[in-house]
Amino acid sequence: MNLQDFLSSLTKRGGGDRERTPLPDDLESAVRQVDGNVDLIGVFAASAEAAGARVRRTSGADWLTAIAGILGDLDATRICTQAAEVGFLSRARSAELSEHLRDSGMTVSTDTGDDELFSADASITGVSAAIAETGTVVCESGPNAARGASLIPPVHVAVVGAAQIIPDLCDYFEQLPGGPELPANVNLITGPSKTADIEGTLVTGVHGPGKLFIVVVATAS
Amino acid sequence: MSASTPFQQRVAAAVADKRVVRAVHLATLKKVEAREAGMDQLRDFEQIRSLAAQVKQHTLDYLPRYLEQFVEQIEGRGGAVHFAPDAEAARRIICDIATSRGLKRVVKSKSMTSEEIHLNQALEAVGLRPVETDLGEFIVQIDHDTPSHIVTPIIHKDRRQIALAMQRELGCEYTEDPTELTMIARRHLREIFRNCDLGISGVNFGVAETGTLCICTNEGNGRLTVSRPRVHVALMGIEKVIPRMRDLPVFLKLLARSSTGQPLTVYTTLISGPKRLQDADGPEELHVVLMDAGRSDIWAGEFREVLRCIRCGACLNACPVYRNIGGHAYGSVYPGPIGALLTPLLHPAGGHEELPRASSLCGACGVACPVKIDIPDLLVRLRAQTHRSHPLAKRVAMRMWLWAMKSPLVFRLGQRLLRGLLKDGGDGWATDGPGPLRAWTQPRDLPIPPKRSFRAIWQAELSNEDKRG
Repeated sequence: MNLQDFLSSLTKRGGGDRERTPLPDDLESAVRQVDGNVDLIGVFAASAEAAGARVRRTSGADWLTAIAGILGDLDATRICTQAAEVGFLSRARSAELSEHLRDSGMTVSTDTGDDELFSADASITGVSAAIAETGTVVCESGPNAARGASLIPPVHVAVVGAAQIIPDLCDYFEQLPGGPELPANVNLITGPSKTADIEGTLVTGVHGPGKLFIVVVATAS
Repeated sequence: MSASTPFQQRVAAAVADKRVVRAVHLATLKKVEAREAGMDQLRDFEQIRSLAAQVKQHTLDYLPRYLEQFVEQIEGRGGAVHFAPDAEAARRIICDIATSRGLKRVVKSKSMTSEEIHLNQALEAVGLRPVETDLGEFIVQIDHDTPSHIVTPIIHKDRRQIALAMQRELGCEYTEDPTELTMIARRHLREIFRNCDLGISGVNFGVAETGTLCICTNEGNGRLTVSRPRVHVALMGIEKVIPRMRDLPVFLKLLARSSTGQPLTVYTTLISGPKRLQDADGPEELHVVLMDAGRSDIWAGEFREVLRCIRCGACLNACPVYRNIGGHAYGSVYPGPIGALLTPLLHPAGGHEELPRASSLCGACGVACPVKIDIPDLLVRLRAQTHRSHPLAKRVAMRMWLWAMKSPLVFRLGQRLLRGLLKDGGDGWATDGPGPLRAWTQPRDLPIPPKRSFRAIWQAELSNEDKRG
């Protein structure tokens, strides 16, 4: 069946005299909860923690040791990370990170194939944006950003540059491109994987990562 | 109890199952509290509800135009769109996609629309074994049960039943610990996800402007379902479309709050076409099955606003009737207040005319609805359409009631008469009424009227006032 035939069950019965509701144009004045005049890092950290993520605030100098510390505390040894630039994790910083973790005795793979992802103890990704209102990190798919990287390993470490934090959920949707640049897959991630299906008891890590760490790096620049 | 059992018997059986009633009671009350706390975080949630209602109603009022744009956008991004005028067509399209490509390992994320068309049975009939991967739906599937809540499918089950089903079907060690049970399911489903080749999902919102599918989930199985397999099929009712990307936050800020009190679901996934050439992973094919199946009939009639529903489940949790009979008693895929509207409207010949009457019209559902569907009003209007299907005795009783309500004298006499005729079952409730009243008391109990009526007390108070005067 084609589109026009399919729509004919609507268009034939148009009900043309029916009153039609206009599309509201000003959504933001009601929908916006957080504006830029707040401590964005503080609001972001509080919201993310409330959703069950753990947030580490670091400076440009100690972000590497912070990540190594998180992974070390978990006894994670097999780490997946990305090879190329996503957000704060530039190509150079990714390489620096891999080297630092290898020096700490971990096995680091920049390949995000099934064998790597399904056997990894943790993955580290950059993010495309972070949303203060909800404590959300955003992972967009792309050549160097596998959908599985923030999803398959039991621990996800998201690295956020402080400048990437935007105030409100509506800010993210406002800036998304509509054309071919729109990524095929975008995930807004708010806390670790959760279920409360069994008697309302909260359990984390049912299918996605049970632990979500967010490392916020405040650089001097 | 099957859907073919008369409604009153299903309700009687449900009310008698104290364990289920208690479980549903506790779970729904918790959700009601969580919803209120979530809504209170918003600066002005009433204003956001109004906007959500307006955007959805607008989209419906211009539905053909937005559907056209939506289809054009998906195709422009390399996705395929299929048109299913009815449930049978939707089942056939999805089965054909699977069989023509030799896809065998089918995973599903939770989708009420797929429940509505009984998709799993259709897939099984062509030799496939679809695996439900949402934890609740997975347990429903291995225990050969049906969901009883649109967000929390196993709200009616306790941990003992779940433990027994897991032990029996997966051969694991018996445990009642929710975390252990969850991890057993995770391990079992992980291997299935690793090797699947077809993923079937529903859709929460379809953005016309960009052809984007928005899927809101908490567990991560939805993300795995739409990113692991070679082929992703999304089944979507035509009413799910919204105009613009920037309309999404209006709904996202309400949906999870209305369901569970969360500000957002853990994962909000936006899908715009299949995997791009350079993408590291993702499905090579994206198929969107747009389904009508009775929706255009609702759209053309006086109940159009029902199609604003975003399936949050808030009206179920808020409803004192749902809380006391659970979802299965409704005998329909969509239970609760919204189900009492949707089910008879989607299946006018399905024998569901009792459902709109399964409401006390207290109004809690309307207050909870994030898109401001006036559920109580619509229930009354739907009742009016089907009042001829009442048994004669009940119609006579209702006539008498009408007569009494119109005349103070008849009302007073009737009250006296009733006080003499209603027998106390021992706990202050009458379980059986005289004559035509039986039609009303058969499925319900009536409180025994007090010795002095309100009117008598009122009169006495008034004359006291006069004396004190």
